[in-house]
Order: sequence, then structure tokens, then C-alpha cells
Amino acid sequence: MAKINPDFAKEIFKYGNGDFNACYNCGNCTAVCSLTDEHNSFPRKMVRASVLGLDEKITTSLDPWLCYYCGDCATTCPREANPGELMMSLRRWLTAKYDWTGLSGLLQKSLLFSLFAFIITAIGVIYYSVYQNFNVETIMHHGHLFEMLSIASVFTFIILPNLFRMWYFVIIKPGIKVKFITYFKEFQDLLIHMFTQKRTLGCDDSQTRWFMHLILVFGYLALLFTTVVLDWFGTENLFIILLGYIESVVIFIITFIFVAGRIQKNKEVNKFSQPSDWFFVIWLFLLGFTAFIVRVFIDLDLIENNIWMYLFHLIVLVQWALIIVPFGKWTHFLYRSFAMYFDKIKQVV
Amino acid sequence: MKNKIGVYVCMCGSNISDYVDVDKVKEAAEKIDGVYVAKTTMFACADSTQQEIENDIKEQKLDAIVVASCSPKLHLDTFRNVAQRGGLNPYNYVQVNIREQGSWAHSDNPPLATEKAINLVKGGIERVKHSKELIPIKIPSINAVAVVGAGIAGMRAALELAEMGTTVHLIEREHFVGGRTSQWNVLFTTNETGQEVVTRLYHQINTHPKITLYTGTEIIGKKGSVGEFNLTLKIKPRYIKPDCKHDIKDLEKAIAVCPIEVDDEFNFNITKRKAIYKNYCSEFPEIPAIDCEACNKCGECVKICADIDLNQQPEEVNISVGAIQLSTGFNPYEPTKGEFGFGEIDNVITLQQFKRLIELNEDALIYNNKTIKNIAYIYCVGSRQIDGPNKYCSRYCCTSAIHTAILAKEKYSEINNFHFNRGIRTYGKQEKLYHEASEAGDIFLQSFEEAPPQVERAGNETIVKINDILTDNEELEVNADLVVLVTGMVPRDYEGIVNILKVPIGRDKFFNEIHPKLRPVETVIDGVLISGACQAPLNITESVKSALSAASKVNSLVSSGEIKLEPTMAVIHNDKCTWCDKCTEACPYDAISKIKYKDKEVAEVSKSLCKGCGMCLPVCPENAIDLIGYTDIEMESMIEALIY
Repeated sequence: MAKINPDFAKEIFKYGNGDFNACYNCGNCTAVCSLTDEHNSFPRKMVRASVLGLDEKITTSLDPWLCYYCGDCATTCPREANPGELMMSLRRWLTAKYDWTGLSGLLQKSLLFSLFAFIITAIGVIYYSVYQNFNVETIMHHGHLFEMLSIASVFTFIILPNLFRMWYFVIIKPGIKVKFITYFKEFQDLLIHMFTQKRTLGCDDSQTRWFMHLILVFGYLALLFTTVVLDWFGTENLFIILLGYIESVVIFIITFIFVAGRIQKNKEVNKFSQPSDWFFVIWLFLLGFTAFIVRVFIDLDLIENNIWMYLFHLIVLVQWALIIVPFGKWTHFLYRSFAMYFDKIKQVV
Repeated sequence: MKNKIGVYVCMCGSNISDYVDVDKVKEAAEKIDGVYVAKTTMFACADSTQQEIENDIKEQKLDAIVVASCSPKLHLDTFRNVAQRGGLNPYNYVQVNIREQGSWAHSDNPPLATEKAINLVKGGIERVKHSKELIPIKIPSINAVAVVGAGIAGMRAALELAEMGTTVHLIEREHFVGGRTSQWNVLFTTNETGQEVVTRLYHQINTHPKITLYTGTEIIGKKGSVGEFNLTLKIKPRYIKPDCKHDIKDLEKAIAVCPIEVDDEFNFNITKRKAIYKNYCSEFPEIPAIDCEACNKCGECVKICADIDLNQQPEEVNISVGAIQLSTGFNPYEPTKGEFGFGEIDNVITLQQFKRLIELNEDALIYNNKTIKNIAYIYCVGSRQIDGPNKYCSRYCCTSAIHTAILAKEKYSEINNFHFNRGIRTYGKQEKLYHEASEAGDIFLQSFEEAPPQVERAGNETIVKINDILTDNEELEVNADLVVLVTGMVPRDYEGIVNILKVPIGRDKFFNEIHPKLRPVETVIDGVLISGACQAPLNITESVKSALSAASKVNSLVSSGEIKLEPTMAVIHNDKCTWCDKCTEACPYDAISKIKYKDKEVAEVSKSLCKGCGMCLPVCPENAIDLIGYTDIEMESMIEALIY
């Protein structure tokens, strides 16, 4: 027995464009979707659950993560109820739901709160550098330490618990009995999806989008590795220096194209950008771009007298690591691949 | 006796000839005495064949024709017209049905189908031999009409008829005009209120010289028939002097002192009213009324208001009209006790009550002292019943419920609407409302008729449950502050008028038309037409359309001063008749009366009332009645041909 809760729809509206109430359940969206199958029938059922406010059903569902927003459902919907955008909103809502701190929901729903968080972190960085008398060497050294420390702590205290929550919602709560060994047997699925995003290819006409996204993911992960492990800003190794240049260029070019797409609204997926989408692509762009410039400054021996450049990069980095990675859109990288992994486990069971 | 008969056997493409050997039928027909021409034809109804038959009649000088084809319901008039064009009397034509009663019915046995067709054709030929030339009857008509019911349909029809030059007697049973429409507030699509629409019509009616309005009036007697109905009207006393000054203050005081309180039917009994009343301040006629059934004549009001006269008596008035247009309207279906909690759970009301509730509650929606937030609408109550008698869809209720839900949401804050439906039927432009409601967040839940929603009381809460077919049949529930039963339409109580006018009633209990497509506003009683929701569930637009259609039909019937009637009717052989009265009992149309003939009493058939049904024939012990067009000799010779 489930209670209908019409206020839930109003909550979902805060996470994205909300036309889904217009749905009259014709099911065209599910019929045209190239990713839905007999195990996971969407998006209509998710639309229905959202209209009725069956949040339990949505929390325990993996369907939102299985959609890659090609937009076919939105263009064929006779009521212009935009099911694709609802699936996007549900992903945002689920991100908030999985987050034990509640900060993700706050940041996504309130632009004001997000700006506040960005400003506070920026002030923190500036305050810290004043405290360090703008000593380039110390600050850069600490910056590198921060990278390592933040990765470790964000992963341990935020991302890992949140993934556990996701697991609890989708496997334990619905009472799905999974043998321990199954988690190992299917583990390769997690890695495949995490590093290939091959499911995107199931969407019609998405080869280019998939390819660019794939390059971006690898570029990002590689740059992360290069800066954190290989200490790009500190190294004298020409190969590493060049590698870092290439990676950062890849990141800022592709993110630039993505930002341009969102401005032009050239695809269904780009029509209704939320602040969290903007923050994600713009900060990723800035991350690549400032890293590139910083390394240029280092190579031209300009950084000593232009510490502001590094500080700018550090601010972007700190905001990225403390806001966007744990609470923002970055998490979709994990949630999507884990969703595919859990889905496989559910199907095996 | 006709002896130059033309017989045409139709193949109906292959509909007939696939199973009936039409050549054999033709050969059999040829051999019969009196048959001059016999032919088979691919399509008897085709223009070329019609022309051929017409030419045969003229050239071969035929004196009667038989077409063996489909049911006369389909093409009787077609071939009567052919006969007439060829110069024959149309009644010297007989249609034999060898399709519905032949090839289609006996497709399993072609030889016997052929044999049956031959016999039917033989019978038809024998019958046509004895056919007589008949001429339609013409009777005079008064160019006046009684329109019964001054709701939206009656008022609109009255105006149209008056504009076309017909004198209108508009008869309303209630003391005020407007009917159901005046009870509804904002109407879709114009956003006018029902009361505004009624007011506009009333002013036009009131100033039209050709319309006489009778309120508080019922028809209690009828004599005569189409062309001249003599109606007796009974006018209830209003107990207010007709020259009343309409002093609102005096009236308000009179209402205040009235000690009688009765359920207010205008508000569907959710409020009370006094015995002296006016339902809303701009109601027409302007003069208030005293409900004579409720009033105990205590005289309190007379002391305050000089315009009140409790000594008024019922009046009887006689009018003569050429036709009667019925627009007696509908009642909302009254749910049975316990139907979705109705009458048992105090916050279960009907849609009509809810509409009144919205109009009466200005700032907040309050019912039973409780502010209403969650409203559950249960659709198809009293319509589309599986076990009950109302199998029909009431058509207006989906739209009305959704429209009302939208209005409630607009008027009050924090309303949640939940629609428990069996499939939404907001046809045509009304679909816009459905879209609007769902966009506004109204929730639609659907079930099949076998598993209707359940309304339950749990402590202080009313819970509506449904197995929603749009959510994998999952059981869902809503805490409803108010349950609105979206009740359909049943005809308004019409017993009196049915007894007087003998209007036929359909299986759905609404008045029945002759033919739903071709003669949708006429009844089998000549001169009695039906319009609006007394005929079927209709919304206002549809009611007015049917009212205008009936109005033009009435006008074309009575305005020329002369009415043509079918000559098929009973005649009495006065010499044989001994007036036993059996035929009057058998006649469903009151068409037979007693007259003096020579030195005895005999029966006489009214030409305008007789429908030619033949009910009186078999009951006559003297065999003194014949049915023109179906005379004994015609029928007997036909039967003989069939069996020998």
C-alpha cells in the first residue's frame, strides 16, 4: 500500500524542468526508448511514480541511471511532458538522496547556497595565501598535498558512504538476496561501464557524444594522475610535462564544446541546464585551462611574480574537490557505473 | 386486382446471389399469374436500375411492382419514389426482404435459402395484387407549440420558434426558469456563469410577443393530436401578488420570519431554505415564490409583506397547440446508500453538491466545519454500470468534474485533486481541460469497472483506495478530506407527462427518438418532439443543439397550417362493429373513440392519432377492423402464397 503524495512533484521541480504532470500515460516514451528492456521499463513508470509521489519506488530504482538522455522520448511525447528531463531531474534528486550529509540537495536546489559555498571556499584560499605571505613554493607544495588529502578524505567520508547508501537503497531495502560471490563475479561489469560508458552507444546517433565524453573522462583521469601522482607542476621530466599539456588541452577543448552546446541548446540533453550542470562543465573547463596556463607560467618562469595565476587555479581546484566532486554532478561518474553493476547483480539474482 | 406486375430480384452485388439463386427466383416469379415483367439486377438501388424500373412502368404500363432485395427499412422509400416517378401510386409497391431474411440468415444452406426467397417473393406478389392506391392524409395544424421545461434547451428553443413565427407556450414546473443551468457557476468554454446565460435568455423571452411563459405549471390533461393538441395546464399558486413591488428588504424580512425550513433542492440539499424563497438574487421571474407544499400558512410573512397573498388558488388554463416540444431535462443520479460511502460517510457528496459548495464558499472551502485540502473524485457513479440499469456513459461528467476541480484549485489555496476514473472521456474541445488539470498537478488514477475504488472510514480519516492500472495495478491510497462522487444523468421525473402524452421511453429510461441518426428529435407520437437532456445525457452545447433542431422540426411541421400523415391506419367497418370496447383497450395511442352510427354505437379511429400499429385488429371479435395498407385480403393472400 502506497500513499499518494502530490507534494513530491513540487520537490522534483526544484531539480529540473518539470512538465511531467502533463503525462497521460500513453507509454510512447517507453516505446521509443532504445535503452529500455523487459527488465527495466522506463521512462513512463518513473514519470508515473513522480506524479504520484512514490519516492520509495524511485529511491529503490536504478532506472534513472540507465537513461542516457538521447531525448527521443521528449521529442515524441504527445503531451510535451518531457520524460527525458524528468529522468535527468531524478538523477539529480537521487544524487541528493544518496548523500548522507544533505549538502548535495541544498547545493542543487539553491543557487544562492551554491554561490555562497563557492565564495566561502575562494575566501578560504585567499585567506590562507595571505597567511602564507603569498609564498609560491609553500603554497604550491601545500596545493599538491591538498590534492592528495582531499581525494582521500572525500572518497572515504563522502563518496564511499554514499555508495553504500545507494547499495542499501537498491539492493538491501527491496530485500534482494545477493550471494557474496556474485559481487565479485560481476565486478568486471562495473569497471567496463565506468571506463567505457558503452551503454551510451545504445542511444541512437550518440557515437560522437560518446566519443567526446570518453576522451574527456580519460583526459580528466589522466590529468588527475599526472598532477597528483606524477606532480606535474613540480616535475622536470619533459615527457610528463608534455603529457600534462596534452591532457589539459583535451579537457578544456572538449568542455568548451560542451559549454557551447549547452548555450546553443543544440540537443534535447542541453535544453534544460541546471546550475549544477553549468558548474560541472565550466569548472572542469577552468580546471584544465588554469592548469595549462599555470604550467606555461612555470615553464616561462613567470609564476614567481604571478602567483595570482596559481591562486586562481587553486581556488578552482578547491571548489572542484570540495563542492563539485562530493556533492555535485561529478558523482554521476560513479553512480551510473554502480547502477549498471547493481542492475546486473539484480538480473543475475 | 393488379395484373401487370413487375418483379425485380436484386443480387446486392453478391450479398444475395452468393446464397440465393436469383435466376431461379426470377423464373418462379415469371410463372405467377399477373406477373408481366421479371428481371434480376446487380443492384436494384443503383441509379441505372431505378431508371430501368421507371421506364418499365411507363413503357409496359405496369400497375404494380415488387422488388426483392434488402429490408424495407433501408429502401422502401427509394422504390416507392421509383413507383411514383413511373406514374404509379407509391403504395402499389411491395418490398420483399430476401437479404436479411434470406441470404444473410441462411448462408449455411443456399438451396433452402433460395426456396425461402421464392416463397417470400410469391407472397409479395400476392400482396401487391390486392394493394390499393393510397393518398397521404392531410390535417390542419395550429401554428403554436407547447415547449415543456424552461431550462436552457426549452428557453433557447422557445426563442427560436418565436423568431420563426410560431406562437410559443413555455411551460415550467418550477417557480423559476433556468433549470439545471442556473445551478452551475462558471461554464466551459466561455467562462460565463450559468446564471448569466439564463438571465440573458429570460430577458429575450420576456419581451418576445410570441412567447407566453407559465411558471409553477404542469400539463394535467391532453386532448387531440398533432395539428391540434388541447392541453390543460395547472398553475400552482405563487402566493405573491403578480403586481408585487419587489421590495427586497420586505422580502428579506419575510424570509427571516418564515418558521419553515426545508432542504434546499437548488443547492442539492446541502443547505436549508425557507418556505418563501428565491434561489439567487437575480433569479427570474423576479417575484419570489412560496413553496406551497412546505408552507403551513402561519401568516407570519403576511404581517411583514403586503405583497404576499396566501389565499391564491391553483388555476387551470387551456391552450391549443399544433405540436409539443419536450425539454424536461435530467436529474443527477442519486447514489444508493453506501455506494462509495454515500449517506454513510459524512464527507462523501455528489459532484452537483460540490459545484454548489464551491459557489457558496467564498474564501475557504469548508465542508462539515472542516477545511478541505485533498479532494477525491470518483468517476462513473451511476453511469456505465455493470450490474445496475444505467449502462450508458453520461458524457458530461468527466468534463464537468475536471472543470470543477480546476475551478476549485483556482479559487482556494492548497487544493489537491485526485481523479479516480475509468478512462477520461473529455471528448472534443474539452480535452483542453484534461490537459490543463494534469499540468496543474491533478492526479489521475484509473481502474477497470470490475475493481472500483474503495472508500473507507479509518478513525477520523476517509481513505480512498484503488488498484491503479497505470501503476502496475499497485494498491494506492489517498487521505481524502472530501470525496466527490461524479454522478451521471438520469431523466428528470416525468411520470405525469409520460402518462398524458404516451411518449416512448427507451431501455435507458430516457425519451426515445424514432431513429437516432435520421430522426433524432421526433418520437413515434406525431407532433411530440424531444430535445435536451430528457432524451439522453447531453451537455449544455449539445442540449441547445438538439433543442434548435427540434425547434426547426416543430416549425416545419406546424407552420404551413397543414400536416401530411401516412395513410396506413385502422378503419372500422361500421356495419360489423358492435362496440365491445376491446379495441380501445388495445390501442396504445388513445386513437379510438365511440361514436353514433345509424342506430348503434361504433368505434371510430382518429386519423391523426392512429399509427397503424395494428394492435386493435386481432382483439376485435367481429373482425370489424382493417388496416389500410395491410388489409385482411392482402395479408391472407400473402400467407397463402407463402405456405402453399
